[in-house]
Amino acid sequence: MGERLEQTPRVTDSGRNIAGRGKPRPAFALWGLLSAPLAWLLVVYVGSLALLVVSAFFSLDDFTGKPTTDLTTGNISEAFTQGEYVSLVGRSIGVAVAATLLCFALAMPTAFYIARLASRRTRRALIVALILPLWTGYLVKAFALRAVLAPGSDYGDGGFMSGLVGWSPGFGYVAVTLTLAYLWFPYMLLPIYAGLERLPNSMLDASADLGAGSLRTFRLVMLPLLLPSIAAGSIFTFSLSLGDYITVKIVGGTAQMIGNIIERALLAPNQPLAAAFTLWPMLIMVAYLAVMGRAGAFKNL
Amino acid sequence: MKKVSALAVALLGVVTLGACGGGDDGGAMLEELGEGEGAVNLVAWAGYVEDGSTDPNVDWVSDFEAETGCEVNVKIGNSSDEMVELMQSGEYDAVSASGDATLRLIAGGDVVPVNTDLIPNYADVFEGLKNKPWNSVDGKAYGVPHGRGANLLVYNTEAGAAPSSIVDMFSPDSPYAGKISVYDSPIYIADAAIYLMATQPELGITNPYALDQTQFDAAIAALETQKSIVGQYWALYTDQQAALENGSVTLGTTWQVIVNLAKANGAKIDSTLHDEGATGWSDTWMVSSKAKHPNCAYKWLNHIISPKANAGVAEWFGEAPSNAKSCALTADPNHCATFHADDEEYFSKVYYWTTPTKDCLDGRDVECVPYSEWVNAWNKLRA
Amino acid sequence: MSNAPAISLRRVSKQFGDVVAVADVSLDINDGEFLTLLGPSGSGKTTVLRMIAGFELPTSGEILLNGNDVSNEPAFKRDVNTVFQDYALFPHMTVADNVEYGMRVRKVDKAERAQRRDEALRMVRLTQMADRMPAQLSGGQRQRVALARAIVNRPKVLLLDEPLGALDLKLREEMQTELKALQRALNITFVYVTHDQGEALSMSDRIAVFNGGRLEQVGSPRDLYERPATAFVAGFVGVANLFDEETSQRLFGRRAVHTLRPERVRVLAAGASEGHAARVVDSQYLGAEMRITCRLDAGVIVVASVPSAQARIASRDEAVALSWEPSAVFEVSASR
Repeated sequence: MGERLEQTPRVTDSGRNIAGRGKPRPAFALWGLLSAPLAWLLVVYVGSLALLVVSAFFSLDDFTGKPTTDLTTGNISEAFTQGEYVSLVGRSIGVAVAATLLCFALAMPTAFYIARLASRRTRRALIVALILPLWTGYLVKAFALRAVLAPGSDYGDGGFMSGLVGWSPGFGYVAVTLTLAYLWFPYMLLPIYAGLERLPNSMLDASADLGAGSLRTFRLVMLPLLLPSIAAGSIFTFSLSLGDYITVKIVGGTAQMIGNIIERALLAPNQPLAAAFTLWPMLIMVAYLAVMGRAGAFKNL
Repeated sequence: MKKVSALAVALLGVVTLGACGGGDDGGAMLEELGEGEGAVNLVAWAGYVEDGSTDPNVDWVSDFEAETGCEVNVKIGNSSDEMVELMQSGEYDAVSASGDATLRLIAGGDVVPVNTDLIPNYADVFEGLKNKPWNSVDGKAYGVPHGRGANLLVYNTEAGAAPSSIVDMFSPDSPYAGKISVYDSPIYIADAAIYLMATQPELGITNPYALDQTQFDAAIAALETQKSIVGQYWALYTDQQAALENGSVTLGTTWQVIVNLAKANGAKIDSTLHDEGATGWSDTWMVSSKAKHPNCAYKWLNHIISPKANAGVAEWFGEAPSNAKSCALTADPNHCATFHADDEEYFSKVYYWTTPTKDCLDGRDVECVPYSEWVNAWNKLRA
Repeated sequence: MSNAPAISLRRVSKQFGDVVAVADVSLDINDGEFLTLLGPSGSGKTTVLRMIAGFELPTSGEILLNGNDVSNEPAFKRDVNTVFQDYALFPHMTVADNVEYGMRVRKVDKAERAQRRDEALRMVRLTQMADRMPAQLSGGQRQRVALARAIVNRPKVLLLDEPLGALDLKLREEMQTELKALQRALNITFVYVTHDQGEALSMSDRIAVFNGGRLEQVGSPRDLYERPATAFVAGFVGVANLFDEETSQRLFGRRAVHTLRPERVRVLAAGASEGHAARVVDSQYLGAEMRITCRLDAGVIVVASVPSAQARIASRDEAVALSWEPSAVFEVSASR
């Protein structure tokens, strides 16, 4: 039984080879190759974000609605301390979380069926069928759900749903959550499906073999192993939902989310205040990514 | 790397342009009319620029294009705020601005004075519309009057007797509670002020755009109360149209054009002017200081106030035309009478949209709440 | 009940779509027995194991554990544990947590869990590795964790699915001894799947040979080697000369397939008084023995295995005579 652990040191050795004794040329070429995209990232991505943050401190000419470079913290305090806006942000997070949970609840069994139970041919057909909606326009889908969810009344017919089951949630936060879940579903499905594909069958067999029923296997083995996939999916669904404002306009009725208030500020026009509002979703996403990172979501990256 | 730094400069430019563009007193007024540039880009209210695609019989663009060779591109502005924002982009040649946008555009240097000598049809415009505070500064015209009208009350004809009072829009006991449709714009605070003029005269409101802090707070309180009976805040006119068609809304502030469109689709609705006086508009076509097609813009201004085109748009949108000769050309011979085209007495009861400023518009010697506060309050109300 | 075999397969078949993976297999496995399921890949041996574990349900037939019919019981209700070919350790759990998993889901109390875990880790000599993650272990160590994770539950039957397949030769031989010792110490039934006949012969009490989904023969290693029932078994377990019906008729006077082990063939000088005249086709030196391939004058190929110490190097085409005891020739049933 005395076999030696030879693998590990060998890997380190070869790693040292590249880093230490390697010629400088490849590194130079690498930087040459990366400089253009890096510059693009820095200027366009980081640069525009920085400008956005800076412009949140500009003031506004009351009458013309044009920003001036007099610096003020008024926009930030307006966006971050006013109760109405804080509660709006809370509601937006609630909708984004609910849409994400709904996506997960729908994607998990669907992905499981496709990856583990379906025959090869059904699998291919299902994947195409579920990704296909990604190729149709966002607006088309949102308006489709508007047609489904439209509430009926004494004076007119509602949408398909109230026609079929005689009830619909009507326009509001519930409709927004349903629509967002519908829109972003593939973004949750695909990572979970890919994760399930990678999960060895024997792992599930082993759990059952050791006495765990399906629920326990799901909780103790599948869920932890799929966590990176679920987190990746949830980052898509959460951020896309949090920033949405068009769906709210289409099926939201009187509901509002962060994106709507940003749009309002932009159209007011009050660009500095809009910039201050956009700090909300930025901070929320940073916090969300931090939590996901702590949960081990990026271990496999 | 050169490209990259150029890009950085360009990006910075975007912000500085936005930040420092104000205060420009405007470029030169056009001195003489030249050849058309082949196109004109317009920002307009829905229903102002119709080429027959909505309704084959509603078309005053095709003639214009054929005559002048100026191809018309239109961007619908859903609110005055949106129009100001669009005009600030510099991408458009002319705009149909309401009174709550005109002065902001003039002050921002986004529009230039209009040489009315180059617009022959200007001579036929009602005198009562010329040289008004919302379209002229120091006797210099900044545009040509398009027409005027009042924001109407739309109601479902099957939902009970026709309403006549703005109180039904605000009272928690309104028979239309839960199915009320409200225009989603800060300027709607003025409607609340009109409601208060009728129900709380002790506040002393005389002009719904000149509200001191106490009056303003009362208006916001009325709107907060109204929130519980609102079924829809509409920003896109098509949203209200759809809600009227499916009956999810049975009472609301509206424009006649929406009523026309919904009725054409079978909605059982009608519109009326409420007794307390209403907010309304007197619109002005203005030319951008950055117009790329100024000659076509002038040709459009002349065309849209020509008797025939002006009659067409006035009937379609549901407003009074600005050209006196239009009244003879409307399909409904009574249109001008119905919409009080030359009835200055009637329009004295209509409070044209205008931009609230710190200096009270009604001349009182107190500080009024400026429009930027209206915007903030409305955003909070809607948040 | 106590007399019932640990495992009984009664006319068990398994079909995947149109493919018959296991056809009509009946087999009793005794308490405390080390039984090997041997066969080439695709022979159905692994499917039989998976049906005993409960990962697959039989299409027809019955599976009994200690006399109880478990044919339709799911895996997690069966009192058997499995060591997987790829070990199937849970990568997100430490070695200790992996070993405790079965007890955790069966709600064994904490103190007992710790005690049994330590005992199991001691048995596979991994006590110091308890806090490692599986990724930090070598292949052999992972294999032992998998073993500990299974035996810690004290199953009546341990199923092993080619557990040594991924290990190198030296380690594999060490582990064979180790496993056999473990089985004796635990005194439980082992059902062991392999395609390696050497492994099967060295470890098993009995071997069940599978071919094409069917059970060819069950018996002790010695039985299988010396008394193969079918041509397939004769060929798969060790090396065998097979004579078809016609050749047998000519050589042995009986119209049936016959087999003859190479080591039972004697190579004599040409013209010997006994034996069949032949010519050497090839000869291989294999260390302890030499393998000499000859063609009988009748055209039939016969392989002989001769201890190297007693043989000189035969040259190609050399004339020889081959002889064997009549008792060395067996009649076997033809391969299906």
